[in-house]
Amino acid sequence: MLKIENLVTRFGSVVAIDGVSMQAQESKITTVIGANGAGKSTLLRTISGLEHPSSGSITWKGQSIIGKRPEDIVRLGIAHVPEGHAVISELSVEENISMGSLFRRRKFKSDITPAIDEMYELFPRLKERRKQLAGTLSGGERQMLAISRALVSRPQLLLLDEPSLGLAPLVVEQIIDSVNILCRSTGLSVLLVEQNANTALGVADHGVLLALGKVVADRPASELKADAKLRAAYLGY
Amino acid sequence: MNTFLAALSLGTSRGAIFALVALGLVIVWRGAGIVNFAQMGQAMFSTYIASTLITNGYSYWLAFFAALLSGAVLGALLDIFIMRPLSNKKQSELLSSESMRAAVPVIASLGILGALQALAGIIWAAEERGFPSPAKQEGFTVAGTVLPFTSFDVFVVSIVTVALILTTLFFTKTGIGLAMRATALNQEVAKLSGIRTNRTRTISWAISGAASSLAGLLITPTSNLSPNTLDLVLIVGFTAAVVGGLDSPVGAVLGGFILGMVISFVTFYDTPEDVFLAILAVLLAVLIIRPRGILGSKDARRV
Amino acid sequence: MRAVSNLKVKSIARTSLIRTLIFTALILLIGAQFDAYNQAQLAVVLILFIGVLSITLLTGISGQLSLGQGALMAVGGYSTALLITNYTLSLWVAVPLSIISSAIAGLLLGVAAARLRGPYLAGTTLVIALAIPTIANRFMSVFKGDEGLQVDVGYPPQWFSTVFGEPTYEQWQLYVALPFAGVALFFASNILLSRTGRMWRSIRDNESAASLAGVNFSRQKIYVFILSSTFAGLSGALYGLRGLVGPSVYPVSLSLLLLTAAVLGGIRSITGAFIGTVIVVFLPDWIELILGNFELSEQVSNFLPALISSLLLILTVVINPAGVAGARLHKHK
Repeated sequence: MLKIENLVTRFGSVVAIDGVSMQAQESKITTVIGANGAGKSTLLRTISGLEHPSSGSITWKGQSIIGKRPEDIVRLGIAHVPEGHAVISELSVEENISMGSLFRRRKFKSDITPAIDEMYELFPRLKERRKQLAGTLSGGERQMLAISRALVSRPQLLLLDEPSLGLAPLVVEQIIDSVNILCRSTGLSVLLVEQNANTALGVADHGVLLALGKVVADRPASELKADAKLRAAYLGY
Repeated sequence: MNTFLAALSLGTSRGAIFALVALGLVIVWRGAGIVNFAQMGQAMFSTYIASTLITNGYSYWLAFFAALLSGAVLGALLDIFIMRPLSNKKQSELLSSESMRAAVPVIASLGILGALQALAGIIWAAEERGFPSPAKQEGFTVAGTVLPFTSFDVFVVSIVTVALILTTLFFTKTGIGLAMRATALNQEVAKLSGIRTNRTRTISWAISGAASSLAGLLITPTSNLSPNTLDLVLIVGFTAAVVGGLDSPVGAVLGGFILGMVISFVTFYDTPEDVFLAILAVLLAVLIIRPRGILGSKDARRV
Repeated sequence: MRAVSNLKVKSIARTSLIRTLIFTALILLIGAQFDAYNQAQLAVVLILFIGVLSITLLTGISGQLSLGQGALMAVGGYSTALLITNYTLSLWVAVPLSIISSAIAGLLLGVAAARLRGPYLAGTTLVIALAIPTIANRFMSVFKGDEGLQVDVGYPPQWFSTVFGEPTYEQWQLYVALPFAGVALFFASNILLSRTGRMWRSIRDNESAASLAGVNFSRQKIYVFILSSTFAGLSGALYGLRGLVGPSVYPVSLSLLLLTAAVLGGIRSITGAFIGTVIVVFLPDWIELILGNFELSEQVSNFLPALISSLLLILTVVINPAGVAGARLHKHK
């Protein structure tokens, strides 16, 4: 569904993505792993339209999405949960989630509340805190909130950027589990960027290993996990 | 006693207008993340348009709504042609510095103010002209004494109250209001949520433009219209917004009334020359004692 | 270590001195070619140049946007006028002395404003710009209200006329403004090149990083305010010496004029400050030159310069925020 060919993204003279070609397989979890600075976040940001590539192509359902604005790419069915500050602290939990459904209000009026309710089902802790300001939430809850905001727009592809960052392993497990369940039950495609390769390869179907902006390996996750040499060389374990 | 009532009355009606101006500033701040110093220039321009219509024989109310409409249109145009290109510009090295990024929109709005004032001078000359009032300007007579409160004052206060209620409801209960707040607080997350941030900002500017036009229409009957009339109003409006909390509509109104009272009482009990100093004193006091404003949230000072 | 830094200081001073000398020479050369009107204009350029430098230092280098420079100019102007009128001091004594009062005003302003940023700072300084001149009306016995105080540059001393010949009034205005402008240029150049200048730029660029590097930026911001105010005060003093010191001489539009000049020319450099001042001062003349053939009503011609400079300001900020000088300076900060 998502095809990337020879993508190059530059920041001034720094080449962050250097000719990356890969796919996000439909209804599967594809994980992009690699060391810090490998270009993983830039890859997601280029897909979602926050950054503009200098060359290459990105096609989604056959259409090129390069040059489109982020808000239009969301409408095409790709939702991006950026790393770090993905929620608006000064708004409430409910408002943060509603944000993601605003653009659907005209076309899918009857689906708005059900979609939001589904998020509360998926993450009950958010329901408890729905009126609280997002800034008062714990790290894990904020990550859940960010994911909810993205999911409430009913995307077909979810771009998840380092959900484990700064979170305790138990919380990470919870979150990744929820995403996994969602993927398997609704057919959502997931492109998961993770520094914690172990966790990522544990849930993913397919893995892409990036180093210095280039694709080093592009294989089924189980193979990557088993390849000790590769792991030691690029992932440090 | 009479002086006190007079001061109270003036404070209320002026306070209502300052509240409107402050509200307009808060709308742009909440919706677009900048303080629009050109706001009263826009108001002055719309009021001139209304004045021209009235002079040419159209009814007050037609001119009134024409002014509001032109205020909204002008605001939208300013955003589309000036503010949007400004925020899209990333290349300049100058803008890599935080403080310059904050300063540039302010400078742009000052340029807009100057241009509007000069343009008004060119089109309508700088002569002062009067402006009619839709309601009587005489005080109510109660039990034989004439109160220093006129039906025009009632008109002003009621309009401001309505505006405040509408604004608060708009921001908290509507989708567009949420989109505006999200856009101002974190543009990137807003975009990733599918919010058309450009369009949303333009709407903020349009609404703010209409609000400031309203303020201009309401204050002009009691003074005269010239390109520079409303400079004082801008300063007071800004101070009112800071006093109340730059991100709080209710705070803006509160600040407006507080400042209206301060100015009024200083005018009556002290001397009019001290007004600017009084405003400055209030501003400094708030910025030193409680920088976020009375009702501003903790992050109100984020620049 | 000491020897090395002394060397650096000396070479910075030498660079600044050379710049100042070249500047002085150029002005004298150009001034000699001008007619009386343009000589007076050139004098105004020199005077406002000092004021614009105050913005270059405050906004361009340390990133603080102040709209109250006009008020600080007024402080300098009134101090000089009072010293000359009440104590019959020569302007050569009065003007340097009034720098002290400007510095004090700058200190007060800095203390009030150092914690503010962006629109809060701009708005507060705008209020100050409006409030300070009203003091003149408040204490009319001292400041003579709207009427103001009359002062001027007086006549050249005898020895000057003997050596250089009797200058015209406009030439004398130029000769009075020039040494002050030169001194201002020297100090501005020194500061910009020095380590202090670099420290202030770091505050402008990234406050969080600067504070990590141990910069106490509250205090530094106040220092910049004081310094910038001395420039503004000096400019205001000379500005008043054109004939009148009063509230009408230092309106809010003066503050905006200085800002416009700084932005148009290039807010980060001395060259930019000068270019901007030239543009702003000569713009009405240039407009008349171009449009003189058209029959423009008084209405239009009164406001056209203001309209054009406002539009230029907007265009500059939108298209090329670095101004004229900035467009050529790619790497130099």
